[in-house]
Amino acid sequence: MKRILVVDDSPTIRRMMIASLRGLRDVEFDEANNGLEAIERLALAPVSLMFLDLNMPDIHGVEVIEFVRGHKAYSDIPICVVTTRGDEESRAQVLEAGANVYLTKPFTPQDLVAQANKLLADG
Amino acid sequence: MPENEFNAQFFEQFLDDYFAESDEHLRSVRRNLLALEDSLAANRAIEKNVVGELFRSFHTLKGISAMANVSAAETLAHYMESYLRLLRDGQTAFTEKGLNALIKSTKKLEEIVAARRDGGEIPPIEIEIKLLESLTIDGEIVESRPPSEIESIASQNLRADKSLYLFTFLSSAELAERGVNVNSVRERLQAIGTIQKSTPAVKEGGKIAFEFVVETGSDESVFAAWQSDGINFEKIETEARETAVARESKISESQKSGLFGQSNVVRVDLARLDELMLMVGELVISRAKLAEQIRQIENLLPSGEWRSLQELNHAIERQLRNLRDGVMRVRMIPIGEIFERMQFAVRDLARETGKRIRLEITGENTEIDKLLVERMLDPLLHLVRNAVSHGIEDAAAREAKGKSPEGKIRLHAETIGETVEIEIMDDGRGIDRKEVAKRARTRGLLNADENLDESGLLEILCSPGFSTREEADKTSGRGVGMDVVRRTVDELGGEIKLETETDRGTKFRIQLPLTLAIADALIVAAGRERFAVPQSNVREVIEIETGALRQFENNEVIEYRGAALPIVRLARVFALEEKARGAFHAFVVGEGKQAVGIAVDRIIGQSEIVIRAINDRLAQTPGISGATELGDGRVVLILDVSAITRRLKQKI
Repeated sequence: MKRILVVDDSPTIRRMMIASLRGLRDVEFDEANNGLEAIERLALAPVSLMFLDLNMPDIHGVEVIEFVRGHKAYSDIPICVVTTRGDEESRAQVLEAGANVYLTKPFTPQDLVAQANKLLADG
Repeated sequence: MPENEFNAQFFEQFLDDYFAESDEHLRSVRRNLLALEDSLAANRAIEKNVVGELFRSFHTLKGISAMANVSAAETLAHYMESYLRLLRDGQTAFTEKGLNALIKSTKKLEEIVAARRDGGEIPPIEIEIKLLESLTIDGEIVESRPPSEIESIASQNLRADKSLYLFTFLSSAELAERGVNVNSVRERLQAIGTIQKSTPAVKEGGKIAFEFVVETGSDESVFAAWQSDGINFEKIETEARETAVARESKISESQKSGLFGQSNVVRVDLARLDELMLMVGELVISRAKLAEQIRQIENLLPSGEWRSLQELNHAIERQLRNLRDGVMRVRMIPIGEIFERMQFAVRDLARETGKRIRLEITGENTEIDKLLVERMLDPLLHLVRNAVSHGIEDAAAREAKGKSPEGKIRLHAETIGETVEIEIMDDGRGIDRKEVAKRARTRGLLNADENLDESGLLEILCSPGFSTREEADKTSGRGVGMDVVRRTVDELGGEIKLETETDRGTKFRIQLPLTLAIADALIVAAGRERFAVPQSNVREVIEIETGALRQFENNEVIEYRGAALPIVRLARVFALEEKARGAFHAFVVGEGKQAVGIAVDRIIGQSEIVIRAINDRLAQTPGISGATELGDGRVVLILDVSAITRRLKQKI
């Protein structure tokens, strides 16, 4: 069973993401509505893939990526950033910090499923 | 199905989530805009965390609107976000013009979301975008204020009565199971002070810890007890403070996860709660039937066994009441949410009319059924608008009367027993009774020789189509829409009262039941019928000797607390068979001069009733608001007390 962590401060977006990915085989979901919670969830149960928003109330998504990449126990977790249009200037910074994929909202269910399949297979 | 059509349908199922979340953010936006306006008025620097929260709200609104395919909202939110980013980063000064643009655009955003919800036409956004664009362009020319002018919690000097602490929370699966996690710890810390910085760290054994720098005035004993929850602390001494604060300033938005950071809130569709309440209602009726059955078999069972059955019945009754209260509590929200919207309306109108108005809000934490709040929103807005447009005088007129140039409007709410009382008060000119009377006479609503007391005045103001203002003033003229205010309050089983005094002001007092579905009621008999009267309407039950009745202007009255109390015989209201008797009971409704005694043959007792509205228009009767079922299976009608007393007033 693979575990996908969905991180976004909007409950609506989290529901949309999980519903989009519901069709994948052998996956379960965990969610977090801010950066610190995301890191805590990651530590409490192993995560196979993370979908991550950037602009969140406590720490920025880039800080989450830096933390994950900076610690051996988590550094291999694939990260797909899903952010709002207009944040594009952060794209280079995000990829440099170590995100695998950069998507913008609105996403389609097909986008998410394709990225999940690819990143889970690579992992 | 083509892919994009499939996707449109796929996201359609989340529209309710979208509306709920948009509303939450728009509410927070309104609150924060008021804070900005206050700062501007007081010539204070704007608070960084207010700007930060606004920025985040528009950012999220942009994101969810994009997903829900509401592109007008997405575009508008994008422009607002851009302007706020400049403000946040200190690249433009905050001005009256900026405030107005934000207020206008917020209104438009609300309209767009509402239009999407109601299937209406999405309004154009060009004007707002031009406004916001001019601000962001100006922003590049305007010399930026030094960042020190934007106040941040962090850059404020540490107050003498506060200390800085470094809290370390070591997260673990055991703690998480007990509900102790980074979110709940953060909430605890926010309750005792201000979080200035939060960072994750990995400890030995791969465990994760979170470090929070908190400024607090609380005593160490408060958080010393938290060690068993994995929360340790150390005081940061004065020398260290500066570095901690300096490090903090790098992270701009870590403070206050605010309304949206709390994950232990569940959103529930109101319709589901209605269903739940309905089920509780059915249980209440079944329990009443059970009680009836138990009474009937009293003589058939040995008394010991019968008594334990009876005790069980009482226990169920108690538990059901708790269940009912529990469900009710879930439906309750603080009335502050709509008071906030009033605040917005008052500021808008004050700006338009050029009047100076201070709004005072008390009792905003009073809780009230969500449905009642929704139904009361427009009526309350109407009363508040009236207070601004026609109650409060302009500054010059007020000063001429020796009043403070600043008008005052007070909104107040409190729970009184099973009811919630809402007051809307202004210290303006009061309602001109003579003017109202004159107009009422020309419209045939009042006889030439009649005088108006306060209940009569309210009656006239609430007559459909009555207005003391010219047609052009229709949007907020007293009278227009007052009929809707009154009708809504009636429909909700509430009461509205008016007090007004020339040059002292006007006060509307609205009493509403706490919840709609289930109520405590007095069961009374008249003729062969039984009726239920919501307990919240009943002031007192009195016994009347027939000999004490006197005839007065076509009405029966008795002396009651030193005044004449009109008596209405319920049997006569519904043309029921009446028996001559020496004494009977009456229950008193209304207060003071508006009090009326409603006479019945017998008071049967008290009971919880489940209210069902009678929706069949053919079966609707004035004076009856609904029906309910009692334990013996008989249906009783629920009296609409205000309609009955109104009928009496018309007769007079």
